[in-house]
Amino acid sequence: MSATDFSATPATPATPRRDVAWMGRFNASLRYGVLLLVGLIMLYPLLWMVAASFKPNHEIFGSIGLWPQEPTLDGVISGWRTGTEYSFATYLFNTFAFIIPKVVLTVISSVLVAYGFARFNMPGKRIWFAAMIGTILLPKSVLLIPQYLMFRELGWLDTYLPLYVPCAFATEGFFVFMIVQFLRGFPPDMEEAAVIDGCNSLQVLWHVVVPVIMPAVISVALFQFMWSMNDFLYPLIYLSSVEKYPVALALKMAIDVTEATAWNQVLAMSTIALVPSLVVFFLAQRYFVDGITSGSVKG
Amino acid sequence: MYENKTTGYLYIAPFLLGLATFTLFPFLSSFLLSFSDYQLQDPVAQANFTGLTNYREMAADATFHNSLWVTFLYVFVTVPLKLAFALFIAFVLNFKLRGIGFFRTAYYVPSILGGSVAIAVLWRYVFAGDGLINQVSIWLGGEPLNWLGEPGYALFTIVLLRLWQFGSAMVVFLAGLQNIPTDLYEAATIDGASKWRIFFTITLPLLTPVIFFNFIMQIVQAFQEFNGPYIITGGGPLKSTYLLPLMIYEEAFKYFNVGYASALSWALFVIIAIFTVIAFTSAKYWVFYGSERGDKK
Amino acid sequence: MARGEVQLRGITKSFGAVDVIKGVDLNIAPGELVVFVGPSGCGKSTLLRLISGLEMPTGGSLHIGGRDVTLTHPAKRGIAMVFQSYALYPHMSVAENMGFGLKIAGVPKAEIQAKVAAAAEILQLTHLLDRKPRALSGGQRQRVAIGRCIVRQPEVFLFDEPLSNLDAALRGQMRVEIARLHAKLDATMVYVTHDQVEAMTLASKIVVLNAGKIEQIGAPIELYRNPANLFVAGFIGSPSMNFMKGKVVATDEAHVAVRLAAGTLRLPRRNAATAPGSSVTVGIRPEHFSIGEPDSDDIAFFEGEVELVERLGGETLAHLRVPALAEEGLTIVKLTGDAPLRIGSRLRIGVRLSHAHLFDADGRAVGTPSAKIAVAA
Repeated sequence: MSATDFSATPATPATPRRDVAWMGRFNASLRYGVLLLVGLIMLYPLLWMVAASFKPNHEIFGSIGLWPQEPTLDGVISGWRTGTEYSFATYLFNTFAFIIPKVVLTVISSVLVAYGFARFNMPGKRIWFAAMIGTILLPKSVLLIPQYLMFRELGWLDTYLPLYVPCAFATEGFFVFMIVQFLRGFPPDMEEAAVIDGCNSLQVLWHVVVPVIMPAVISVALFQFMWSMNDFLYPLIYLSSVEKYPVALALKMAIDVTEATAWNQVLAMSTIALVPSLVVFFLAQRYFVDGITSGSVKG
Repeated sequence: MYENKTTGYLYIAPFLLGLATFTLFPFLSSFLLSFSDYQLQDPVAQANFTGLTNYREMAADATFHNSLWVTFLYVFVTVPLKLAFALFIAFVLNFKLRGIGFFRTAYYVPSILGGSVAIAVLWRYVFAGDGLINQVSIWLGGEPLNWLGEPGYALFTIVLLRLWQFGSAMVVFLAGLQNIPTDLYEAATIDGASKWRIFFTITLPLLTPVIFFNFIMQIVQAFQEFNGPYIITGGGPLKSTYLLPLMIYEEAFKYFNVGYASALSWALFVIIAIFTVIAFTSAKYWVFYGSERGDKK
Repeated sequence: MARGEVQLRGITKSFGAVDVIKGVDLNIAPGELVVFVGPSGCGKSTLLRLISGLEMPTGGSLHIGGRDVTLTHPAKRGIAMVFQSYALYPHMSVAENMGFGLKIAGVPKAEIQAKVAAAAEILQLTHLLDRKPRALSGGQRQRVAIGRCIVRQPEVFLFDEPLSNLDAALRGQMRVEIARLHAKLDATMVYVTHDQVEAMTLASKIVVLNAGKIEQIGAPIELYRNPANLFVAGFIGSPSMNFMKGKVVATDEAHVAVRLAAGTLRLPRRNAATAPGSSVTVGIRPEHFSIGEPDSDDIAFFEGEVELVERLGGETLAHLRVPALAEEGLTIVKLTGDAPLRIGSRLRIGVRLSHAHLFDADGRAVGTPSAKIAVAA
């Protein structure tokens, strides 16, 4: 076995062994085969959904192929109109109306708190840090009802406030943890140099720390954006007027009011609903990978 | 500068405020509510203390027993399968192959989108009577199945939805694998270890911190699954996909039984807490932390 | 008191229960280049950070230029610091890096530009001013880090192991540049290193630290010739001084007779502190042994067996077993040139007795070897 491994490494010029070369190629093809097959199974439903948006209804039932034989924009157009009283434009606008403050507040509060945890040695820090990890593990449903009652007392029902105000208080422990882990990878020398250059701690944070941890900050913003786009339960309990519905709620409602046979319309709506996330993902995919791994591998 | 205690507290002050207001206060309130008969439409002042009534009711509630069983089934099928599959694919990808970036992205996309309503909707159509799966199975010469109408199959479809999102766990595994220094593999090869031996004696032990991280995150997330059953199956048929979070939501916001829903949510909390405590205490027996960074955690 | 003068009075520093600095008193005169040396963990970097204000002392006081700055913010102490990692801001250009301190202080742009340009001129960085740090070589980054200090026109420059990230050739070059800079700026500099060569060549004064305390302060050559104790004797010089345990057997007007493993050494006596019967340690530097010396009264000769030879080209290190000097352990002898030695051969080595150091039971130097004797290689 070990001999096989040796002759496979380029460092050993030795005589080429045919069986080994064959094994290597077989191995590689096997890997590609597995990867392609899994990739196909993974992505086919998505591609099918996009393709179905451009097919007439009868064609969706009739074939498993992707390419529309009679391409049509009917599904997309009626999907955009949604069959409810508002079009997708309203729902997209509503979504961004609370996601943007949510992302901004999450980033600001997470950076401040992570900086405090990563760099300052105050008494009781370990307990608070443990509490933060605890909030990551705490099931949201145990907080759901009292939070609802609390926001009801504040008169915040059917507004976007309950959706984003908590984010100003670093309630998403995972993001704080992510930035703390990222910051721990940097020695504090640069920050000390900035102190000698006359910065107070807020100036150090702004002029030195934030530029350095920018990749983590972007990751946090992107994840919060994606998760909020997907979020359904919170808008479901807090929002009651259709004119304030975000995409997630509108989609659920549209499907309930659309007759079951208008497949192309429903799938077109789903496709449109995923476009913002997909665009953001493909524009910034490396930040997702970096972000999710910085919270786990380094820890 | 970093010794200044007040400054440190100023920075984490937002978190402390949020912890008190949006976590600890609701957390304790739901505990108190779980001992009451409070109904959602009433003013909070009308809640009556009813002792252990809600918990006694829970013990006798067949719906709860069913939800508990279905939730356990869901979690303990999805989590190990998802982790094993993610690890397997990460292992296949962790090789000097062309196009790794492409595959990594392709596998990751479902994780990003998978929690959305749109994908849940898509799932309904993929598994519908005339849906993609049945069309494919007819094309392959098989029988169409009533995926969403049969209790056993319905749970399977929402299990599949979670497995489909293995990409995020895989990316973490892949990063963990790439973090293992190659000289360890080289040293083991020189020592004459076989590939399987290297996998079990080097790769797996060094990967345990990452496995642990993924395991905890997956358990916690799986116990909280809501969108899938709510949109795809609505909890049915015959409550076969009526996971606990869905039951809690319906008790509180559909039937307005806030007291009972709070008791249910505390049951869910205790279950997750037990599993995380078990995971964390067992970690010292099976999670390997490199000696040089042993101070972590 | 003059600009650039630094005074430490009873400085202590504890991290929790650990005392890192255990009471340091030190005066640094304006224009001096003082080097802190010591083994890792001796507190030399902490002491520097205490001067910079990045750490606050647990006790004692610190004056710079006559001002009490014990509790002053680092930026207002009149210091500037070069970090081991250079700590350049990666997202700023060289010019922005150098001018950042002035920008924070609210200095007008034109003035910042002029000062940065002047500092860049001194360090030959003018053509690099628009680059980002990652586009610079190690030596260039080092110069930018120094430039950042010059721009601030501090009273005191602080260097925290500034050359340890450079390769050997560049390190030598930068060492010369720092020495030149010191001469040119005529500023006070405090320099931390674990590298003896840096310490010996750069310092106008060396402070040897060990376990949070100052062991000795002095000019480099003074430390070499007259180490105050066993620690300094062993720390300064490479390879380390050979130590041999012995007992004083007799003293007279001019000599101290010390009985070693198997043989007696009659050392010139410089003071009467050692009574017969007391335990002492004799120290002889490897480079003070020689071969082929003619017999003489003030030279002692020993026979040894060669166990190991290290040839460095310009010099040869021979590890000898010398029964007369030590029962166990080897004596290291440094010989100039490529001496033709064979392992197992016997060698007759001589040492001028005035080169021997004598330490008492507590490790303190007893008298000092005569400073008049030139230090032979």
